[in-house]
Amino acid sequence: MLLEINELFVRYGKSVMALQGASLEVGEGELVSLIGQNGAGKSTLLKSIVGIAPVHSGSITYDGAAVTDKKFSVIKNRIAYVPEDRGVFSSLTVGENLRLGAVSRKDTRNIDADIERELARFPILGEYWSRGASLLSGGEQQQLAIARALLLRPKLLLLDEPTLGLAPIIVDLIFDVIEQLRDEGVTILLVEQNAVRSIEVSDRSYVMQAPGKILGSGDAKELAANEAVVDYLGFSPTGLLGDSE
Amino acid sequence: MILQIIVDMVGLGATYALLTIGIALLFGILGLMNFAYGEIIMIGAFAMYLFKDYPWFVGVLAAVVFAVVVSVLTERLAFRPLRNADPVTLMIASFAVSLALQSVMRMTVLPRTQGVPPQPFLTESITVFGIRVTVLQIVTLVLCGVLLGGLALLMKKTPLGVQLRASAENFQVAKSLGVKGSFVIMSAFAIAGVMAAASGVILVARQGAVSAEMGLTPLLIGIVGAVVGGMSNLKGAALGGLLLGMGTGLLEATLPTDLIAFRDAFLYSAVMVVLVIRPQGLLSGTKVRTS
Repeated sequence: MLLEINELFVRYGKSVMALQGASLEVGEGELVSLIGQNGAGKSTLLKSIVGIAPVHSGSITYDGAAVTDKKFSVIKNRIAYVPEDRGVFSSLTVGENLRLGAVSRKDTRNIDADIERELARFPILGEYWSRGASLLSGGEQQQLAIARALLLRPKLLLLDEPTLGLAPIIVDLIFDVIEQLRDEGVTILLVEQNAVRSIEVSDRSYVMQAPGKILGSGDAKELAANEAVVDYLGFSPTGLLGDSE
Repeated sequence: MILQIIVDMVGLGATYALLTIGIALLFGILGLMNFAYGEIIMIGAFAMYLFKDYPWFVGVLAAVVFAVVVSVLTERLAFRPLRNADPVTLMIASFAVSLALQSVMRMTVLPRTQGVPPQPFLTESITVFGIRVTVLQIVTLVLCGVLLGGLALLMKKTPLGVQLRASAENFQVAKSLGVKGSFVIMSAFAIAGVMAAASGVILVARQGAVSAEMGLTPLLIGIVGAVVGGMSNLKGAALGGLLLGMGTGLLEATLPTDLIAFRDAFLYSAVMVVLVIRPQGLLSGTKVRTS
């Protein structure tokens, strides 16, 4: 497995336990989604991978190395993270934002070609290249955030609620891109509230319940067979079997 | 007469603008109100005293080296260990650094005020259409323009500038993208050091003396100017400094002799009026918390 999380506990302050023994695995080239309601602890799990949530106990290993080790570098291991608020710099132009995604790369010769590739994937970014990022709509900012993350040439892409608050047509575009990236071999851990679409596109899904407990996991068929998961989701993923198989 | 007053006002305004830029730069990028900035100016001025017998440009070069080194050292030794501390802790730390630098200078190499003879060429003046302009005024204006222009160019056109602006907006996200946080912060302190050195050079030329306490007044002027212009906006801070200096010059030239002693009271009353109308500063786009 590329990413293995075992019995992870994350605590904010002395009393708020955001994750309580969450375990999760992502294999190389897999698209795995983590679904659950607001406050379930999904974003905290992603933040603990990139080192911005305080791990209390448990382990996170990436390609055999302990992520919680002080020497572990998220960037050197090519783990790209797109936060829930997109993290777009509003005082920078679209082009400056995009180029920042490649700031840590040593292979400077290939960066322009990679930018061209992302502009082909997200044409609107090329159109607005010199425009201030603050002038972009939410959907455009999300495209910018994903394109910027891809400039790291990530081995693992962490997406935190990439379709939150977006128009249906943009949601379709984002999910199309996610599938496209999976087909290109990028390993993806997707955190989403849109359970139907996430289970549809993912190889496997984990369902998380507050406070930070994994309720069940598997493909659509396995999730459908899990009564607790069906109760929690409020629907049976059986209807998605045709798409997921 | 009026033109002469305007020229003098702009000369003083440019000096004040130089003072505000370094303060606004560190505040914009780190959220740090660096009260030790006045002592960095003093270190630059001290270098001018130390090299007073050498050609002027040697002193200027030494001022830049001294101020940059001390500025970077304060970051490395005092502020970096407190990187994740809240702004109040950082502010208190900057007070401590300020007092420590002042005390060390007073106890060692600068126990009392030392005179620095003005460079003859700086005191010369030229007269154009009846207006007398000193070389020092021209040097101040050019220095202010070059530094402000250079800084704007650096921020806008270089990868370091983009990283500085990104870090100023969201340090954590910038770091998560691979921006080297420590390098960016060190660069900001180095740039602030250059600005402080320029201020030190100009102040020494204007005052003809250096002392361990000389940083306090320029620090206060710098902070007030930066607040008036817009604390985290470099153009705004420079404008604030310029206006503050021009206001000072205008009051000096126009107030009756018996009211000159109240110059600062008039000036800072005007500053308060500006801040009541625009608490976020003249050029700042964002509103500050007002309650």
